[in-house]
This record gives sequence, C-alpha cells and structure tokens, in this order.
Amino acid sequence: MSSLPAEPFPEAAPAAGVVEIEHVSKRFGQVAALDDVSVAIAGQAVGLLGANGAGKSTLMRVLLGLIRPDAGSVRVMGVDARSAGWEVRRRIGYMPEHSCLPMGMTARDLVVHMGEVRGLPRRVAVLRASEVLFQVGLEEERSRLIRTFSVGMRQRTSLAQAIVHSPALVILDEPTNGLDPAGRDEMLTLVRRLSSELGIAVMMSSHVLEDIARTCDSVIVLRDGRVVDTRRLDHAEAAERGDVQVRIEGDPAGFKAEAARLGLAVDGDGDGEAWLVVRGSDPQAVLRGVRDAACAAGVGLHELRAAGPTLEESLIGAIG
Amino acid sequence: MSTGARVADVAYTRYDGERSGRPAAIWSLARWSALRALGARRGWRAKLIPILLTMIALTPALVVLGLRALFSGASFTNNLNIAYARYSTITAIVILVFSVVITPELVCSDRRDRTLSLYFSTSISRLDYVLAKLLGALLPLLLVTLVPLLVLYAGNLLFAVHPLGYLQAHAGDLLRIIGGGLVIACFYGVVGLAVASLTGRRAFAVGGYLAFLVIPTIIGGVLGDALNERYVRLLAVAAVPIRAARDLYPGFTDPSNIGAGLWNLTAVGLIAAGLAVLALRYRQDEG
Repeated sequence: MSSLPAEPFPEAAPAAGVVEIEHVSKRFGQVAALDDVSVAIAGQAVGLLGANGAGKSTLMRVLLGLIRPDAGSVRVMGVDARSAGWEVRRRIGYMPEHSCLPMGMTARDLVVHMGEVRGLPRRVAVLRASEVLFQVGLEEERSRLIRTFSVGMRQRTSLAQAIVHSPALVILDEPTNGLDPAGRDEMLTLVRRLSSELGIAVMMSSHVLEDIARTCDSVIVLRDGRVVDTRRLDHAEAAERGDVQVRIEGDPAGFKAEAARLGLAVDGDGDGEAWLVVRGSDPQAVLRGVRDAACAAGVGLHELRAAGPTLEESLIGAIG
Repeated sequence: MSTGARVADVAYTRYDGERSGRPAAIWSLARWSALRALGARRGWRAKLIPILLTMIALTPALVVLGLRALFSGASFTNNLNIAYARYSTITAIVILVFSVVITPELVCSDRRDRTLSLYFSTSISRLDYVLAKLLGALLPLLLVTLVPLLVLYAGNLLFAVHPLGYLQAHAGDLLRIIGGGLVIACFYGVVGLAVASLTGRRAFAVGGYLAFLVIPTIIGGVLGDALNERYVRLLAVAAVPIRAARDLYPGFTDPSNIGAGLWNLTAVGLIAAGLAVLALRYRQDEG
C-alpha cells in the first residue's frame, strides 16, 4: 500500500467554503429532482429537510459527484464535483441511508478496510479504526461480525467508516432511519458531537424536523427540488427572548389580573385551548411572574413555551 | 512492578498525513477481496476448502519431487516427472472447483449486502471496482494454476545434475508456465466473476457457474463423438483454458485435432464475453 504513489490533493480555491452549489438543476425524465438550487455551506452542521422525494438524496449524490447535474456548478472544499467526483469522494465521508455494510465482516475490519480505500496507509487505518470505533461506542464490539449487530450498532458502524479518514465534511443520509427511540437519541448525540467536538462539518438529511433541530446549526428546506427556506437554528434565541406563551387551566381573567399586578402584559383571552402571550422586561422576570400569577390566581399551567411560532410551525408550510 | 504503564488516549484525532490515490484504493479492495475469498478473518470452514484444494493442486508436484528426494539413487526416479504441459490437465478439476469456490465469494456478498453503494461513495469507480475484483480473483487462482508448476520447476532445478544448465535449457518453460498459469487464471476469473455478478445469491452463482462450465462440455463431448465433428468439441468450455495454455508448449499435439489457434481464439472470445457482461452489469447498477 504505502509503496504506491500518493496523489496530492488538487489546489483548492482560496477561501472556499466547504460546499458551494450554484444554480444546480437535475431532471430525471419529466421529473425535476433539483431545480436551480444554490446553497453555500461553511464549516458547520447543516440539515437538509424535506419530505420524501423533495430532492435531498439527489442533492447529496450531486455533492458526491455520483450524479452529474444538468446545469450549475458544484464545488466541495474547492474541488469541482462534476469533473473530479472521485477526488471529492476521497476527501469527504458518506453514510448512506440504507444498510450497506458487509455482514460477514467485523466492525474493525470494515473500518480499517474503508480507511485504506479512502486513502489511509494501513498502519494509520488500523490506529484510526480504534479511535472512531471508540468514539461511536463500539470499542467493545469491534471484533463481532456486523450481522450480529442491532440496527443501531450497524448505523454507528456506518458512521465510523464515514469518519475514519478524518474528512473535513461528512454527509449523513437519514442517519436515524429505522432506529428505535434509544438508538435514535444515541445517533443524534453522536451527530451533534461531530461538528461541536470533533470539528467535522456535517450535512445531514432528514424528514424529521426534530432530528435537524437537535443536531444542526442551520437548515435548508427542500420542496419539489427547490430550496424554499434556509435559516439558522439558533438554539439560544428562544431562551433569550423574554416573551412566553402559556396555556392555563382555570380562570384566565384572574391570571391576567395577577400578571398585570406583577407588571406583565398579557394578550389573548385564554379560553379553552387558546394561548395567552405574556410579555415582560426580561426572561427571568417573565418566568417568575407567570409562576407567581398562576399561584395567586389558583390556575394550573398546562403548557409554557417561548412566544412566537415554533420552528416546526414556521417550517411546516415550507416543507409541504 | 512495571513502571512503563500509561493511560492510552483514544480521542479522535485529525489526520493530515499522506493519502494514497485510486491505485492504492483498487489494490486495497483487491487484497481484501482475495484474502476474504481464501477465508482470511473468517471461520475455519471458509479457510478449509481453499487450503485443501491448493494442497491437492500441489500434490502431483510434491509427490514427484518427494519420491525423487527419498529415492535419489534409484533408477526409476530418472523418468519420474510430469510434463509442464500436462500438469494443468491433471489438476483441471481442482482448478475448476477452486474457481467455483472463489469467484462467487468475491462479488455476490457485495451485491447481497448492497456494499456496492458504499464502495461507490469512495474514490472507487465502477471500472475500479471491476478491476479490483478481477485482480482479487486472479491472485488466489494463481495458487492452483501457477504455484504448483513453479514448485515443480524449482524442484526440477534443484534435482538437476547441472542446475545452471537446466535453467538455460528450460528458460522458455518458465515463461510458458507463467503465461499458461495467467491464461487459465484469467479465464476462470473473468468467466466466474461474470456469471457470479448476475446474482446476489452465492448458491445460484455456484450453480450457474457450474452449469455454464459443465453442460456445454458434456454436450460438446457427446455431440463430438456422435457426429464425429471435431469443432463441436470447442463447446467444452471447462477445457478451453487448459487446452489454450497447453498449446503454449511446442511439440504438444492436440488429441482433439482442432489446432492451437482455435482453442486460443475460443478462450479469448469467452474472456471478452465475460468482460462485456461485467461491463454491462456494473455500468449503471448501483447495487
């Protein structure tokens, strides 16, 4: 292996982002899988959100250089994915949606093998296989055949092979597919760690908004092959906002009166399932005021959350 | 008590060192495929058959050389030898069974487990994949098509009264041994992979491959005898590479009286057909 000539990476374009997609279109017959898609991704965790058939997998395959777009340009870490797809695939990691692991191999053998295929010298591949299997929590099971693994363990093995060669970007296609709640939770925690602790840019596709919200810094929403929304998922934003909305059980008038006495403004009638919006000077004062007003008015707090539409509510129309 | 103990840090580290290119990726896939087909890092049952077949293929050479070593002074050992041209004919059935065992193992599991999509997400292209699998088939097959003859040649060289003279006199044989071994391995490798690539089920691949090799051979033999038509014997697919390799040796007469050129042409045609099947099978199939 090591005696074979090493191929240097082509010169990357200066100051290039991780991914730069400009006006990419791709049709399969009469179906427009991608329609004038333009996206720029820096080093962060990005979610691709959309219903089945929205174009998520096609976009990922275009990024990997596995599908040539009909129009537009795609650069991944400065490399043109149209003309040097193999070079892009050597640099980045990819975790396919469906299980595609060789059942007759051990997790360790597979990860070492994929490390070598992705360009690592054998000695380095062996060393890094241990590292990544430890990171995904499979160090104890590394010598077991993959066919004996649960779905969650197979997904974690798939993730390990995708990051063994220290990629700058890893593409995860529906990584929580088929997982039970515990396995899904573990996978989402791992995915979050990739960008937050291991310094690997992540592009993750999902049709589950919660998965994207938990793991990504920003989201790209696709519908019918078009980008219909892009936004940052600032997890701190809601906490910093002072306004809250509550749903109470009891007399809304009494609650409003007590809240007003504490210096809070309350909008809405609060009848039935309706929300009351409570505004104040700072977040802590609002939360304390809601608690105290509820106690004083003798009403129960059924639900409390930051005011305004949730991420799901704001994106539900875009997702389609 | 040892003072060299330390806590190992298995934290994820970045790798900024040298990375190999596509040739190394192809070689890696070929090496892993060949080793796994031979049973490496698998259970003992997976290792048993390839090892057993390799030993059987070596047996004629080892028996001849062993008898010569044990009875070095005896006169009967003077004529105790196997012509290089005949060796593959003697071990033909072993080569056939070995290829039936090895080649489906190389591609069927990739299709069944959908590992193709994993490989194609790396720098390995479809062409690279086929090249790696061909290499992965060729290397194990050389264990039964080339290694026994090389052992026999080395033994003959050692037992020769004048080893240097033997080497000078039989330098051409060495090239023919290598050429013949490669021809037979290429044929069984390409044809075996082509048949196996049509299914993800190993059992179907083995059955299909055996049927492809054996049924035309039987038909060719029966019709050849019944019609007394020598060219019908070219249907003996299983015999084609052996006879093509045998024709590399000068002075060896073909008992079927067909001629070296036609056997070689048939072998080349079947290899080309096998490559065409592989090219079509992996052209756009994403497993």
